[in-house]
Formats: sequence, structure tokens, C-alpha cells
Amino acid sequence: MAVADNSFDAIVIGSGISGGWAAKELCEKGLKTLVLERGRNVVHIKDYPTMNLAPWELPHRGALSRQVLKENPLISKAAGYGEDTMHFFIKDRDHPYIQEKPFDWIRGYQVGGKSIIWGRACQRWSKHEFVAPEKLGYGMNWPIGYDDVAPWYSHVEKFIGVCGNADHLEAMPDGEFLPPFDFNCAEKQLRDRLLAHYRNRYVVQGRWAHLSQPKEIHLQQGRGTCQARNLCMRGCPFGGYFSSNASTLPWAAKTGNLTIRPHSVVHSIIYDEAKGKAKGVRVIDAQTHAVTEYQSRIVFVNASALNTTLILLNSTSSRFPHGLGNDSGLLGKYICHHNYRTGASGKLDGFEDKYFYGKNPTECILVNFRNLGKQDADADFVGGYTTFTGGYRERGEPTTVERVGGVYKESLTKPGPWGIYMYMQGETIPRETNTVSLHPTQKDQWDIPLLVTSVGYDDNSERMIRDWQKQAKEMLTVAGCRDIEVHDNHWAPGLDIHEMGGARMGNDPKTSLLNKWNQLHACKNVFVTDGACMTSTGNQSPSILYMTLTARAVDYAAQEMARQNL
Amino acid sequence: MNRREAVKTTGTLLGGVLITTNGFLIACARDQNKSLGKVLSVDDQSLIEDIADTLLPTTPNSPGAKAAGAGAAINLLLTDCYEPEDQKRVVNGLTQFRETCDKRCGSGFASLPQKEREKFLRDIDAEAQKAGAKHYFSLVRELSLQAYFSSEIGMTKALRYVMTPGKWVGCVPLQSGQPAWA
Repeated sequence: MAVADNSFDAIVIGSGISGGWAAKELCEKGLKTLVLERGRNVVHIKDYPTMNLAPWELPHRGALSRQVLKENPLISKAAGYGEDTMHFFIKDRDHPYIQEKPFDWIRGYQVGGKSIIWGRACQRWSKHEFVAPEKLGYGMNWPIGYDDVAPWYSHVEKFIGVCGNADHLEAMPDGEFLPPFDFNCAEKQLRDRLLAHYRNRYVVQGRWAHLSQPKEIHLQQGRGTCQARNLCMRGCPFGGYFSSNASTLPWAAKTGNLTIRPHSVVHSIIYDEAKGKAKGVRVIDAQTHAVTEYQSRIVFVNASALNTTLILLNSTSSRFPHGLGNDSGLLGKYICHHNYRTGASGKLDGFEDKYFYGKNPTECILVNFRNLGKQDADADFVGGYTTFTGGYRERGEPTTVERVGGVYKESLTKPGPWGIYMYMQGETIPRETNTVSLHPTQKDQWDIPLLVTSVGYDDNSERMIRDWQKQAKEMLTVAGCRDIEVHDNHWAPGLDIHEMGGARMGNDPKTSLLNKWNQLHACKNVFVTDGACMTSTGNQSPSILYMTLTARAVDYAAQEMARQNL
Repeated sequence: MNRREAVKTTGTLLGGVLITTNGFLIACARDQNKSLGKVLSVDDQSLIEDIADTLLPTTPNSPGAKAAGAGAAINLLLTDCYEPEDQKRVVNGLTQFRETCDKRCGSGFASLPQKEREKFLRDIDAEAQKAGAKHYFSLVRELSLQAYFSSEIGMTKALRYVMTPGKWVGCVPLQSGQPAWA
């Protein structure tokens, strides 16, 4: 292949939620863009084999076979992993890594990445979350603040479609919302009672990437109204929720500027010592193992937090012997995540004559009320937490004396009691000692060093869990629940699928890898806009911030290219 | 059960014979376990379906477990999704069930009228509740419920399943006699 065939204006490594956004924005700006994806191609609708199957049409009615569980003890723990979705998750044996401490690294290797199987929650960060770590003494300031990202949040929200209500809350700013999904009866009671009792605890409708009422821009993408099936992770035939496959990638393709190359495992980014910048990417074909180099003026690294870090660490040169842009020595450090270890639930009497219709694909959000912009006097931990919550109605009346025969069967077919569940999404403290690194000798089937994870919880997380449990128990009581249970699921870090950091943003090249435009301080034509860039975790679901930072960084990159600075 | 397995099973049952590599015809009636390629033999599958159908019989509102094909589904789930010790517990449990039924009722479970079947199951269930979760009947019940309420009949005739609701409405009055959503 002639060199010219391998040259592009921009290369994007990864086609997931942020890579798809990089592709869309770059292509729209007229830049010839190559997207490299290590997994197979997945075309919207065409490659969703289970999207229209009823439970009884699945081989095991949706249950996981013993063999699948035995062969995939790690990935099968992931939220959403099931007989109907497992083809969008990796197989354990194909992608080993080394856990110095328990860390469940959840991956989805295909075009679209984990955007097919993501949780879809899309809250904005508050202004406090960008500054709290430094202000309250548990971390470093971001080089950007809420005002820098607010217009880009809007840009992204309008395109992907986010449902939600404008609640005017300090802890979770409003966005460009489509109509919210209704509360059910139990959720209304929860909302009303918490507000009446605490005055400052808000249960709001889910802000989720669903088209509750599509606008012209969504119809142009070929997407339609969410049908309330809640079968999202199989891929949606209606394009009811946002994924790269349904939205950004086909949009980018329509410009004529997009090339997607599946089965492309990126080995490293190639550094041009003479020019002092990256000149392209070295790719190993996943199937043939053939090595190909692609050239471009800029590179966007969107391989997912830990894989992005791995690629940078593996991109060594005379100038950067310890990984691309790694002058500070901090590449692979300050790995953080969200604390998802605790939940609670309780039964709720009443509303026997009320029900719902359809399946709500969203959850309610109990907005952070802890350490918001200041350290609470009664909190023995730093950071905040968002709580997801919902009311549900069980199937089957409570066990009657009859356990055999027609009466028994009929009782099982009736709606049962109501209940409310809650679970925590807590901020964690980025620590230099929480790291990923490359194993010195062990390699994968593509001759790329295995990743070593050394990430653990700290005492702050344990104290946060205890506080949340105390608050949740009290709030469920206030809501009118009985038989309240709280639990610690003892998840390892990583199972939250919110791993962040590794190449954090900051103003000072001595303490960070990326500047305020997500450029490597020391290699300006390389941008990192996925979870690896996170300076701290905040307590909001992170994906929409990655999309937002990506769109913002592409805009800057294109300007710099026009000015001949890149 | 997927289509391919269904065809395989039917062929074996209708034939009742296997052709060995040597070309000899051998009757396989005495080795029913292998004939289904599953944990439960034809007889055991039939028995567990009768048990499931007694737990969850046809009622004026909906067909029961037998009509839903619970036996084959239980056999498939037990074979592919359950641990070997659970499989053993069910197989041994069914043998015990058969013996106890013969002893107490003087005939096989299948030939008992519905009322007597129910009475016998209530007795076994009482024993199981005393013995705790490890009793085979707890597992038989669990499998019966799983198979029935994941079947097309269970989900659409006993419960209500709407694959594409079209919209979400958070709070609506429950209609009299309305079954639960699947």
C-alpha cells in the first residue's frame, strides 16, 4: 500500500462514546479522518442479533449457561451482561491483564465500544466538582471550570438527545432537555416526602440519553422515539438511545470524510523526533497480525481510560522513553473510579390500586447533598455522592398459605407489593499510588505488554459508604418504607465501569499530562479526551463529560490546524 | 430449547433406536438418559413436567406448565445452567419422589387425579420447608417457576408481556383482575 493511502488529516483511536464524537466533529470540519477500532464492525440495527427476541426465544430464556460463566468469571459480573447482550462484551480468555489488587476491567471491543452497553445517565457536573478537590484539600484543580464546558454540554445534549426536567439545582445544572420520563407512584411519594422532611434533598427524573420526543436533528440521524422497551443493551432498532453506532459514526460517514478500520489493534503512537510531534499510529491487524502504519497531522486517543493509558505508555521513543508525553512521570498514575459498593431497599405499603405501563429505561436521581461546595461539619469523609433510585412493583402477591395448584398460580400472576431501591455513585480520591503500568515481560497475542492494575479503595471510600448507608436508611424510612435493607456488594474497583485518570488534565506539566485543551503538554498534536483525562471523578456519570471535552478539543484542534500550529 | 435441539430430540424419540458406528441396530429404551442428551431422562422429564403442572395447572385464566412445555425447558435449564450437584439433587430427588409416591399413593404420580397430586405435593413441600433450601423439592419448584414464567404461555397468557410498549406511563389505575407485567 502506498504511503499516501495511509495518510489522513486525523486519526481517532477507538470508536466508543468519545471516539465516535471525535469522528463526527472532525469529519464535519472537513478533515479526512481514520477511526481505528480493535474489535469487529457493528452496524446499527444490522448487527444487533437479539434486538427483537422475546425471552422465550433466547437459547436459555436469558439465563447464563454454566459454560459461559466458567469461561468468563470476570466479564460476566458486568452490569447488563446477559445471554441477550454478551456478544457486546469481550471474552475473558482473549484479553488477559494482571491484577496486583482486585480490579474488574470491563471491556466491549467492537465498533461503538461500550456505547452500545452504557448506562446512559447524562448529568452535568456542577461548578463545585471542578474545584472541590483543591479547595477542600483532597486533590488538584482542573484547568477548566463549568463555564468552559457549559456551551459544549449544550452542543452534545442537543445532538444525542437527553431527557430530563429543568430542576434548577446547584448540584446538577440543567441542560438541553427533551421531556422527562414520568415518576411512578412510589417515586412521587419518595420525592415529596424527602423534600418535605429535609428541604434540600431532591429526587429528580432521570437525565438519560433517550429520545422521549425526538427533534429534527435526531430524525436526521435516522433515530426515533424511545419505545420504553428497556432492552437497550441489545442495541435499539429504533435508535431510541444514543450510541456511536446509531448516531455519531453514521453521521460522520455521511460527510464522506470517514474511514473506519475495524480489527485494528493500536500498538503505539509514532513520535517524529525531528519534528517534535506525533506523525502517526502503528497498528496490528487483530486477525492477521500484519503491522501497518498510518500517518496524520493530529491523533485523538479515545481507546477508553486504561487502554488509552496503555497505548501512551507503550509509545516510547528517545524523547519519551517512559511513554508519550510522560515528562512528569505521572502517566498511569492517579487512576480513580466511582464507588458503587452500596445500595439499599425497602418495601412500601399502599398504591395497591396503581400500576404503570411500559418499561422505564431511566432511573430517578437523588441529587448530591453531601459536601456540596464545602465540607459538611458532620461528614467524616471528603467528596460527594449521587444516588440513583426508583420505585418498583414486584410480581406475585406475597406468599400465601397455598403453595400448590391453581390458587397459587393465580397469586403469582398478580402484581405484588411496591418497593423503593437506592444505590450510591460516590466520588473517589485520585491517588498517585493507584496505578496502571505495563508488565515488563508478559505480552498479549499481539505482542503488546499486558496491563498491570494496582488500584484499591481507601478509608475515605469506606467512611463514605457508612455515611450513605446511614442516610439511605433514614431516607427510606422518611419515604414510608419498611423492611429496609442496606448492603455492601464488596465490588472490586472497575466493576463500576467508570475507571478514570491515567493521563490527567492540569495547568502544570510537572503535575499533569494534558493541558486545558486535552493536548499532551509535551506533544501538542496528540489529544486525549476519554476517561484517561479526568483530573478528579466528581460524583456524576462521566460519559457525557467525555463527549463534551471531545467536541471542545476538536474545535480547538481544528482552529490550531487552520493557524498552522498543528 | 432452540430449533436445532428440538429436531434432534424429536428424531431420537421417534426412532427409538441408534445406529452405532458398527452399523448394528441397538435398542436404547433402557438408556433414556442419553437419548435426550440432557440430565433428565424421558421419564424424569415427563415426571417433572407433571409436578410443574400440578404446581402451576391450567386455570380459567391461562394454560398450565404442561401446555407451556415446562418439562423440556426445565431439562435444558438444569442441564446447561445448573451445577452438577444441583443436577444430582434433582435426579436423585425424582427417584425418591417416585418411590414415596408409590408407597403412599399406591400408584405413579402421573396416574393420580389432580386433587391427589396436589395433596401429595403439599406433603412433600411441607417436608421440604422443614428440611430447608437444600431439599430437592425447593429446586424443583424453582425450576418449575423459572420454566413456566419464561415461556411464551407463562409470559403472555398468565402474565402480560409487551415487547414494544411504545411509551412509558408512570402511574395508571390497576384494572380489576389485571395480571402483572412480565
